[in-house]
Amino acid sequence: MIKTVYIFFISAIFFISCGDKNEKNNSDQPEQKSDTAIVNTGSANPYAIVDVSPMDMSYFPVDYSKRKMAHDIRTPPVMRVIYSRPHKQGRKIFGSLLKYGDPWRLGANEATEIEFFQNVNIQDKKINAGRYIIYCIPYENKWTIILNNDIYTWGLKIDSTRDLMHFDIPIKKTSENFEYFTMVFQPISKGAELVMAWDDTEARLPINF
Amino acid sequence: MKRFTPLTFILISALFCQGQSNNLPPLDKSPMDVSYYPNNYPVLKIQDKATEPVLMRVIYSRPQKNGRIIFGDLVEYGKVWRLGANEATEIEFYKNVKIGENKIPKGRYTLYAIPNPDNWIIILNKDLDTWGAFKYDAQKDILRTSIPVEKLNESVEALVMTFEKTDNGCNLVMAWDNIKTSLPISIK
Repeated sequence: MIKTVYIFFISAIFFISCGDKNEKNNSDQPEQKSDTAIVNTGSANPYAIVDVSPMDMSYFPVDYSKRKMAHDIRTPPVMRVIYSRPHKQGRKIFGSLLKYGDPWRLGANEATEIEFFQNVNIQDKKINAGRYIIYCIPYENKWTIILNNDIYTWGLKIDSTRDLMHFDIPIKKTSENFEYFTMVFQPISKGAELVMAWDDTEARLPINF
Repeated sequence: MKRFTPLTFILISALFCQGQSNNLPPLDKSPMDVSYYPNNYPVLKIQDKATEPVLMRVIYSRPQKNGRIIFGDLVEYGKVWRLGANEATEIEFYKNVKIGENKIPKGRYTLYAIPNPDNWIIILNKDLDTWGAFKYDAQKDILRTSIPVEKLNESVEALVMTFEKTDNGCNLVMAWDNIKTSLPISIK
């Protein structure tokens, strides 16, 4: 029993310390607190409060910037996505908070931005290297993913006359809920998939290069 | 006893170190943010209130003070600091600008600072898409410039970077804890 307590104690110390590294080391250390406590948005910031739905960035190759720092990669990145991460907070998301058939900004705040550092193909259509807005029209059984060239805009009013391409992709119900909307790349045999997941729904957009 | 083996370790790790109960990334402790100049450009744009084109933006992560002394302690004087957290802080100019007498061609740059008690050295560097300042390469610097520091009466909890309009362009304002600095950028 003493050993049991000992192991638990050591584990607890290890993980508490892992969640409480100083700023130099915090990287992907997760946040334990509830939504409202995540950030101290108190009066002490006269310039800009920290967003409730914070921004995040994903590269392909996965963890590109860390790998570059480690001199583990020499080639340029293929693409990155910059998006904000709303929280489920107990709400039903698809078909409720987000209406089926209505455009959704795939995030929060600024429109979600995807940048290809080289030409790629999506569903056999060529996409030129460059920066685009990416958004979604969710339906019950599929998502329509849209690339748009009206960059540097806010997500609530995307100008559909600037749409470039539409791609229908299937969705999958997940067994676990995703609390935070997540966009991340995962490698596939001829490129990578942009994985998009929130609540009980996951969709994957294959990108070939 | 066998119950408290690596499995326990993993379970406890899941308890303490996973904000999201699956293998996709949890929220960053120091969340990312973006500031545009003109300030709030994306919002102004959808309201048809933007009176000038977008000129620049900075993408950075926002560490929090959390009761710590920042400058001269957590962030050491005289050493290169990534002006944020996680990925290296990135500034992008959509047209050519000037910082002091230095012409900066439009484009993306990483941005670092060397904080000192009375001034910060601001560094623009061409090594993009990297992490922090851990492998910062001075050979890729395109600019180093010194700016004075201003002491604030009230401490700023989360590092903030924003822009303030000036006669010649704007200042990139950086503030954390009790320190504020401004980098003048000329767009004329």
